[in-house]
Amino acid sequence: MDLETPPPDLYGRPRADRMFARLTAFGDWYPEVLGRPGLRRSPRRAESRPVPPLHLVVTSHQVIAEDVVELRLADPSGGVLPEWQPGARVVLTLPSGLERHYSLCGDPADRHVYRVAVRRIADGGGGSVEIHDELHVGMRLQVRRPRNGFAFCGEPQVLFLAGGIGVTPLLPMARAAQHARIDWKLIHVGRTAAALPFTEELKALDPNRVEIRTDDVHGVPDAAELLSHAACNAAVYVCGPAPMLGAVQRALDASPAASLHFERFGAAPIVDGRPFAIRLGEDGGTVTVPADRSALDVARDARPDLAYSCKQGFCGTCVLKVASGTPEHRDRRLTEEQRAAGLMLPCVSRAAEGETLVLEV
Amino acid sequence: MPRTTPSRSLRPGRPASVHDNLVLEPRDVHFDWSQLPLHWIPDEPMATHTINVLHLLLPEGERWFVKVFKEALPLIRDEQLREEVLGFIGQEAIHAEAHQEVLDHLLAQGLDPRPYVRQISWLFRRVLGDRPALTARKRRENIIERVAFIAAIEHFTAFLGNWALNSPGLDRAKADPTMVDLLRWHGAEEVEHRSVAYDLMRHLDPGYLRRIRGMVISGPLLIHLWVRGARYMLAADPSLNGSLVPTWGEYHKAAKRGLLPEPARFVRSALRYFGPGYHPTNEGSSSQALAYLAKSPAARAAAAH
Repeated sequence: MDLETPPPDLYGRPRADRMFARLTAFGDWYPEVLGRPGLRRSPRRAESRPVPPLHLVVTSHQVIAEDVVELRLADPSGGVLPEWQPGARVVLTLPSGLERHYSLCGDPADRHVYRVAVRRIADGGGGSVEIHDELHVGMRLQVRRPRNGFAFCGEPQVLFLAGGIGVTPLLPMARAAQHARIDWKLIHVGRTAAALPFTEELKALDPNRVEIRTDDVHGVPDAAELLSHAACNAAVYVCGPAPMLGAVQRALDASPAASLHFERFGAAPIVDGRPFAIRLGEDGGTVTVPADRSALDVARDARPDLAYSCKQGFCGTCVLKVASGTPEHRDRRLTEEQRAAGLMLPCVSRAAEGETLVLEV
Repeated sequence: MPRTTPSRSLRPGRPASVHDNLVLEPRDVHFDWSQLPLHWIPDEPMATHTINVLHLLLPEGERWFVKVFKEALPLIRDEQLREEVLGFIGQEAIHAEAHQEVLDHLLAQGLDPRPYVRQISWLFRRVLGDRPALTARKRRENIIERVAFIAAIEHFTAFLGNWALNSPGLDRAKADPTMVDLLRWHGAEEVEHRSVAYDLMRHLDPGYLRRIRGMVISGPLLIHLWVRGARYMLAADPSLNGSLVPTWGEYHKAAKRGLLPEPARFVRSALRYFGPGYHPTNEGSSSQALAYLAKSPAARAAAAH
């Protein structure tokens, strides 16, 4: 865009627009006077400090269902923990350095304990196995403060659909719903009754509102059938394995329910990734992007201030210009013209094996 | 960062209006504008075009938010705030594109918004753009100052979002459902992320003067641009031939019918921003916003992909 010629009059009259002439003069003058007393951050004020993470101690570590361990974490000196609301999760930093997200499944009114439940995933990244086999009472963990990506909105009619360990964020919601006298129902599906945690605790809230369905007794659940238990215009809260979420999303339109809440986890795993290389700037060092990481994540190791947002190739925030090399576009945001102009979204887009992309940063 | 949020426990029969520490993430959306009539509130050209000014201001305005917030990223010293800002940036980028689609549709229907949009582009890119020639200290101040402008504008977007979520008048007038969904989806995300710009400003400069300057400069400018935009749209509408000149009297009548926000409420809301205990969490309800986002047809259409 031309940033030298001020815009013409709005109605085509043959003169410059007066209001915009004044605005332009203001815009040229104002940044120059910033920094004077009264027009700057007071130099007497200390810089804002980051909020530190929590350091908590494991007060209980017990098996509560097949392959499920419950952890209780508390402040070592018995202090009050930060508040949270149903649906919140914390990030635990394990002794090995691995970081894992877990939903809080205790009672938000208990301000002294955080409770999480962890299912053992033998072929996963090793975090759950470490929690099962190596954590014990008395160990200290660094814990990031609770954040909520699955807030409970308290609609008048609610159906909770839990798949296996996915019951953890829904348990505090069911408790809140019961307390708020909301018309709720929870269906918990899983392989066998022995593998499902918290059955007793849920039934203690209201046995008539909780239904347990196991594959060995009731067969594999069908999303449309599960949703048919929703009251008319009910809100559905679902948490479970990805195929279950996908099936419920597809079946929602034909169901009596009006809305669907689920927790979003950002980037999907990379499919068909091949290793390639990127260089940040012509004179930057060349780094390899492994098959299972995105170019964005690799670039952020070197440049932590690079902006990004959706990590799924639709918001366009992380856009970078390719100075040389041929990218393999995998986003759904950039137009053909933008791609032709050399733009790419490094959160999803990659390159052929062995290719080196030089990115302008 | 300390947040002055009110008590937020879930009481019987009352959902929490404030959700602490929300994880913000952009949502993809899909709107189909092929059926949108020029006057999407039937027989209400004045209300239609007054709301249409949004589509003229927001694409450029929200792209500018994204630019300023990207410039502010290196100044942030708190990890959670940083993540909230990144989520905010993605949401604003999606908003800008959604409104851009409507703008393109208006042009296809013979209403040329380009002269007005040209001026708005100039405002955001030249008048309020980055100035690399400044000294490092002034440049930093200029970033914080523009964050303060955005915090004040976000107060209004949360106000308007809250209005859109509680505007049965639009349904009564049989307004186009896709456009109503755009307004409510966008409004709901504005309510959802209403604290981010304010918290960022307070993180970079907690001073009262900074906050007040943001409102004193951007509030009147926003209102002026809105009035100017509504006049322009009514003059440029090919089906009206310039027969309809907007007046405050007409505006009040449309507001009475629930088609536009009431000016008195708008002014009262702006004045709250000057209160020493102000925090954006007191404007609008997160529960209501998130409940709408869970049912918005445009968000569901894209989520099912």
